[in-house]
Amino acid sequence: MRDGSASSEDGDASRAGSEKRQQGAAGQGGFATLLRSSDGPLTQQLGHTSTPLGNLPASLVPTATTSMVCGFCATGCSLKIHLRDGEAINLSANEDYPVNLGMACPKGWEALTPLDAPDRGTTPLWNGKPVCWSTASQTFVQRMKAIIAEHGPESVAVLSTGQIVTEEMAFLGAFAKFGMGIRHIDSNTRQCMATAATAYKQSFGFDAPPFTYADFEESDVLVFIGANPCIAHPIMWQRVMMNQRSPKIVVVDPRRTETAMAATHHYAIKPKSDLTFLYGLANLVIERGAVDDEFIAKSTSGYEAFAEFVKAFDVERVSRESGISVAQLREFADLIASKKRVSFWWTMGVNQGHESTRTAQAIINLALMTGNIGKPGTGANSITGQCNAMGSRLFANATSLIGGHDPAKPEHRAKVAGILGIEESLIHPELGLAYDQIMERVADGRIKALWVLATNTSHSWIDSEAANRALEKLEFLCVQDMYPTTDTAKRAHLYLPAAGWGEKEGSFINAERRIGLVKKVKRAPGQSLSDFNILRLLASAWGCGETFAKWSSPEAVFELMKQLSQGQPCDITGIEGYEMIEREGGVQWPRVAQLRRNWTAMPDEERSEETFASCGATGLLSERRLFEDGVFFHEDGRAKFLFDAPREMPEMPSEEFPLVLLSGRGTSAQWHTNTRTGKSEVLKRLHPAQCYVEIHPDDAQALGIAAQQRVQVASRRSAIEATAVLTSTVQRGNVFMPMHYDEVNKLTFAAFDPHSRQPSYKACAVRVSIVGN
Amino acid sequence: MSARHRHASEMTLIDQLLAEQQQLTAVERFSALHERGHVQERYSALLPATPPGPGEQYAFEVNLDACTGCKACVAACHSLNGLDATESFRDVGLLIGDGYQQTVTTACHHCEDPACANGCPVQAYEKDADTGIVKHLDDQCIGCQYCMLKCPYEVPKWNDRLGIVRKCDMCAQRLAVGEAPACVQACPTSAIRIVKRRTGILPVTSAAGILPDVGGLETRRTGDRQNACPTSLLPDTITSTYTQPTTTYSSSRSMPADARAADRDVLRVQPTHWPLVLMLVLTQLSVGLMIGAIWHVGLLWTASGALFAGLGVSVLHLGRPLGAWRFFLGLRKSWMSREILAFSVLAGSALGSFVLVPVTLSAVLGLVAVFTSAMIYIDTQRAWWSGARISVSFFGTVAKLGASGTAAITGDAVFTTVALLSGALFWLAETRVQRGCDKSLRVVTAKLSGIAMAKRVLAVTAMVCQAMALAFPAWAWVLGSAAFACSLIACVCERVIFFKAVDAPKMPGGLTA
Repeated sequence: MRDGSASSEDGDASRAGSEKRQQGAAGQGGFATLLRSSDGPLTQQLGHTSTPLGNLPASLVPTATTSMVCGFCATGCSLKIHLRDGEAINLSANEDYPVNLGMACPKGWEALTPLDAPDRGTTPLWNGKPVCWSTASQTFVQRMKAIIAEHGPESVAVLSTGQIVTEEMAFLGAFAKFGMGIRHIDSNTRQCMATAATAYKQSFGFDAPPFTYADFEESDVLVFIGANPCIAHPIMWQRVMMNQRSPKIVVVDPRRTETAMAATHHYAIKPKSDLTFLYGLANLVIERGAVDDEFIAKSTSGYEAFAEFVKAFDVERVSRESGISVAQLREFADLIASKKRVSFWWTMGVNQGHESTRTAQAIINLALMTGNIGKPGTGANSITGQCNAMGSRLFANATSLIGGHDPAKPEHRAKVAGILGIEESLIHPELGLAYDQIMERVADGRIKALWVLATNTSHSWIDSEAANRALEKLEFLCVQDMYPTTDTAKRAHLYLPAAGWGEKEGSFINAERRIGLVKKVKRAPGQSLSDFNILRLLASAWGCGETFAKWSSPEAVFELMKQLSQGQPCDITGIEGYEMIEREGGVQWPRVAQLRRNWTAMPDEERSEETFASCGATGLLSERRLFEDGVFFHEDGRAKFLFDAPREMPEMPSEEFPLVLLSGRGTSAQWHTNTRTGKSEVLKRLHPAQCYVEIHPDDAQALGIAAQQRVQVASRRSAIEATAVLTSTVQRGNVFMPMHYDEVNKLTFAAFDPHSRQPSYKACAVRVSIVGN
Repeated sequence: MSARHRHASEMTLIDQLLAEQQQLTAVERFSALHERGHVQERYSALLPATPPGPGEQYAFEVNLDACTGCKACVAACHSLNGLDATESFRDVGLLIGDGYQQTVTTACHHCEDPACANGCPVQAYEKDADTGIVKHLDDQCIGCQYCMLKCPYEVPKWNDRLGIVRKCDMCAQRLAVGEAPACVQACPTSAIRIVKRRTGILPVTSAAGILPDVGGLETRRTGDRQNACPTSLLPDTITSTYTQPTTTYSSSRSMPADARAADRDVLRVQPTHWPLVLMLVLTQLSVGLMIGAIWHVGLLWTASGALFAGLGVSVLHLGRPLGAWRFFLGLRKSWMSREILAFSVLAGSALGSFVLVPVTLSAVLGLVAVFTSAMIYIDTQRAWWSGARISVSFFGTVAKLGASGTAAITGDAVFTTVALLSGALFWLAETRVQRGCDKSLRVVTAKLSGIAMAKRVLAVTAMVCQAMALAFPAWAWVLGSAAFACSLIACVCERVIFFKAVDAPKMPGGLTA
């Protein structure tokens, strides 16, 4: 009571006060304003207007909004685009989307800014000189055809991207293989997700990340391995923070990252000791008798051999090789053996390694043996990198026959040929070369022409000086990008100006298999065209316009994708079209047409929660995980335990190069060689302008290096300069450099996982010295 | 189909594609004016249920455990407030320590005793009586940038397009209608909230210093939330007694004893402020000559010339000089206002001295004016601009330039001697008063060595010339003029270093510069 009366008095007092002030202001009138202007043209520049979206800057009040999926990472957040006269003027995060729930990371907030960059490409360039599209398309066709005629179709390759919409990827893959008749097409998803795709394909029988983001919230133990979601996937981290089950959060990472800081347990393993570490954990879990025998018997194969294999990884050996104490190892094993919901999450720290497929599968094995899959809050879950890496994996016609098919299977070839209306003989029974094999053939001259779309090989490819020397040898390099100013585009003979995200339509598939829409909310500058329209033009100029007559619009291609997906694990025949994706807040694959028919055909009185589940209509829910029935995609329905003996990292530290260089993400504000994020002044504020290297203070002291001093970091490949940052978040013997500074990949050592062909960016040997010494 | 025909049909296709590219069709299909969704309920939990009562104000509260460095707050502040391309009113810095890192989101601390407002000559700041929000009145601002020197947290940001500073107002327009500020709305982990905070809970001591206190957070955490008395917000930030910032940083994690700002060792070169460099040197020369004019009344012309040149050039420092007439509004608190008043009086007196005002009076008023100049910088609580150092610098300049100027014009050996002695004294005193300014001295050594060398060489040359002038009176005029020129340029160099090398207090920054 006392509080109540006090606050009401306070309220009266404050009201009285403000009235008095108003009277005072009115009384003094114009003179007061003359003396002290609290309003005027400058004040109004920051004035707000109340709108249905809440207060917004008066200068940026929209007349309509539309939502679309962000074009940076694979989280797949929905952004609410603020439109005036149909064109985007601003954006905010979409509250009504199951992925991001009204939040976005800085890249998302700044997603429109790179579209207005002054260095956008506005016309095709032939040897740096502007040409018209007619000349450009004829040049493309003549050069490519001449090289194919002289050196054969193996002499031409395509390097694509995970950054364009699925419909464009599908068109590109179909045009390259079935139109141009070439075989080698790969993309930058090889640099980020190839391992996860390969690991899933081998273990589960299909490239199928099993989780949904709700699993972040429903887990009791979240294990992050080689993942730093706090800055790499902040909106996924949001979901972790929304977990109400007081979860244990375990981070396995050589560095004490932002995520490691926020975790309850951090195991700072030695670089590239992850495979040994994970096998040791499996051994400890078996020793504890914490395996799910029933699940293993029913749903897996190869467990006995695996259990026998990991016996060699006794706790002392693992402790010695990983640098984690025996007590800590036991503590971690106890968490996994807790019989609670354990989910495992990994990203580039695992994927970019020399034995990465087996490492990812060691994680999958842990989930399988403890039955932590197919249930809420569980799973062996790969956090994907690029906004449409998942679209690329299924529909780019590169790492599989379009639609996740196997070109070696005659029935798959027949199905694809039938749907696309092409000769079956156009489908090569073998897949093309991987990125590293393409680069190797570029270097040795066997590949003479390269077509690069929306990726920046010059910066991002491992051992980049060697890569750039190789690119110099090309007879014809065509780069299709938003900017003619990327490191790679600057080397192009022919540059084709592409419209960007927000200037075209199509769909992305995010890390949890959710298909979301991209819309045309800005006019592309000058004569730039969407990749889709460039492909239409090139197909026509190539003379195969007839073959691609059906490929008239992104939505028409989406219909083809649906047909191609029929009967596949990624079946999306139940998606009516773009409107349905819009209406439902994105749709996860699979979405089988039959499910809805089963449900809608059912008489009203029979419809209940039980019949909903029994007719399979749970497949209509917005957030779904795979393998709830314990049935996997191999022919026997079982998941496989796969393993191999660990191998030493390819370039061990030596006397001459005594430190291990770890590379990775330094900030949430940079993306994809900084080609787009580098155009935003706001994003540029969020990271150091110049390259830096994190080094342990003890190592720095031994080398006589002071904080903020300029140092040289040298590997066997090259030497670069950086500013020394002294921090014990890196271990002694390690240094860390962010990959978004283009010079960092001059140092990296070109080693590849034998299964996924993914480059091992995460470890090479370097030395650090003071500049000038 | 002939080649020509094919070419024509492709032109049609290209035209068709180019036209199609410019149509925003998807928007027509999908757009609507969406309403704000459920997020409003989510962030309403991050706002106080009722407005602040008497003895309370709004404040930011940051849960460091939840701040994991995504920096969405910075971008959202920019976008939801319609700021210029490079502008955001929020920043994210970093603390590092033994096996420790902690990102720190920071904006205006809406201080109880806002230094920006206290320094503003035209009352372009207003601390709202109801909410405690420190609001900047953009239309009142004259762009003098003094608030940027006064604020120890780098909050007011210069906007070159408008010629004023702008800053965070806690999205007051949103709070007024029950909406959360942009940064609060945008934080994926709800690390930022608005709370009501009791005012007057910080001890106000007279000994406002600049030493950081590593134990600040510890004190806050172990003490009672409302009554804790942090000595500084975070490691490597200024003592909170200076402005009494209201932001609270909380954490359940222990901060290691060696926690420090990640950019503690970054050597930052500050802006030169050329108009201020020239204004200070010229007005101090003028006051020195004014003193000389007590004995050589003819110097009044030169003294007045230097004074008006100095005052004239100072106007160039203002983004919007036309509002400067309101300077008297700040007289109660702002040394900038007092300086403008003092120099206005001095200008009148100097002109008056040509007719009936005693020159001595003008000289005294001049010294008062230089004192107000000194206080402007002393009042910013920066070690490089300590009272002792600025006294030596500013009054040393009055003595050196006044005496050598008088000597050069009149050839008076007494003034040559005074110039020589004051030059030597200045040299000795400068070393003494710079003790404890390690960071600034490192900036001078690492980044400003050229100009520091020029300053030393010129100062020595001036003294050598003055000594020779005493030895060879026949050459006094030439040597005196040379000495004056050298001295003048040395003083300009000294003043450039004065601005460029100052170690400005700030919130923790990023990993490198």
